[in-house]
Amino acid sequence: MSLPVSQMWAVASYVIRQKLAGRKRYPLVLMLEPLFRCNLACAGCGKIQYPAQILKKNLTVEQCIAAVDECGTPVVSIPGGEPLMYPDIGPLVKALIARRKYVYLCTNAILLKEKLEAGLFTPSKYFSFSVHLDGQREEHDEAVCRDGVYVQAVEGIKEALRRGFRVTTNSTLFDGASPLRMREFFDEMMDLGVEGMMISPGYSYSKAPDQEHFLRTQRAHDLFSRILSNPKRRWRFNQSPLFLQFLMGKQEFECTPWGNPTYNVFGWQRPCYLLQEGYAATFKELLETTRWENYGKRSGNEKCRDCMVHCGYEPTAVNHTFGSLRGFRDTVAATVTGRY
Amino acid sequence: MTDVTLEGWIPEIGPGLSLQEVIDKAFDYRGNVTVVRTDGSETEGYLFNRNADAPVPFVQMFELSGEGPRTIAYRDIRTIRFSGRDTAAGNSYAAWLRAKEAAKSGERPEKGSGSAPARGV
Repeated sequence: MSLPVSQMWAVASYVIRQKLAGRKRYPLVLMLEPLFRCNLACAGCGKIQYPAQILKKNLTVEQCIAAVDECGTPVVSIPGGEPLMYPDIGPLVKALIARRKYVYLCTNAILLKEKLEAGLFTPSKYFSFSVHLDGQREEHDEAVCRDGVYVQAVEGIKEALRRGFRVTTNSTLFDGASPLRMREFFDEMMDLGVEGMMISPGYSYSKAPDQEHFLRTQRAHDLFSRILSNPKRRWRFNQSPLFLQFLMGKQEFECTPWGNPTYNVFGWQRPCYLLQEGYAATFKELLETTRWENYGKRSGNEKCRDCMVHCGYEPTAVNHTFGSLRGFRDTVAATVTGRY
Repeated sequence: MTDVTLEGWIPEIGPGLSLQEVIDKAFDYRGNVTVVRTDGSETEGYLFNRNADAPVPFVQMFELSGEGPRTIAYRDIRTIRFSGRDTAAGNSYAAWLRAKEAAKSGERPEKGSGSAPARGV
């Protein structure tokens, strides 16, 4: 794992506090979507198909901060839409850092160089750009349905690193991904100097244009096993090693749909970052009135059947680490040996 | 993606189609709709929420102007017209593949099919 020690400590102490308090359900990472607008329209994305008046909407910084304070997670991820198109992204990030939240700004990086040159952000241990890259140049440009985006993203990464920012990558894998090409991609990212990488299988959004290339469970296990078996020592992942083992089929986990709650212009999304089955006005209402038993593989809900996405299973992996001796032992062993 | 779109649908609530079903379809629809109230008044906009389990079941909408959210009780709704463009309908991935294939074979791709359009820019 490539997380800074201070961040690991912040997450660990938060989880232990929740357990000591006897909380059955607690969130880990807030997914804060201040807007739905995007300068791309990727084939696998189901987040941006809205009428114009919705795409024009922005959360205010005050609304964002209120949501952060309400759910209290130590980590805030800012996806979207494209957050660099959010007019108040600079003040928002500054306010979150002032609250000592670990912030991941999830961006396609098309605007990254421009925003860095404009002096919108200041490097901080609390702040990381999480750049969306679904593979090497050919694969990524195909995934985002536009030529040249990979090159722009790499330029943005280089500029951010040059200025002293933390930079990670996030990659969504679909059926047909080449294990060899992904391993080469990991090498490329390490050569660039990114702090760590995040990987996850895609989710079959019903509104996404491309429905044919989402991974089913066994194929996902096969793919991730081929990618992650015999990992190189130099590869660094910015996520739980137990989640990587889960992707490879070595861990049996159930989804934690409340682990990464989502707040956007509609409110608190039920039940999770991926499914939209309604909205709650407050985080408390979300936790108390969502029928959680209807979600996850064991529920039999077919929308959850093949889902292995990080937002549901990474919180399970983290909870497992701090919830059992075996989980803790497995995490330490994978971290020390670099094998999954 | 599904090729079927509800765009333009004007449902008739009756024995074969309940208001609840129409509300669920409107909630799932990624375009503007027009809610027709029992008093004959109408509100057009994006229906983003519905709660059938609330003590007074309701829907919530952002109007075309972006104003909102407006809350409307189920009991006040006569029907819902699927009046706006279905923004989830379309074929950007297929268009992208066609363009790529055309590029590989040296053909000229269809105008505008080389990249998927951005959303809301």
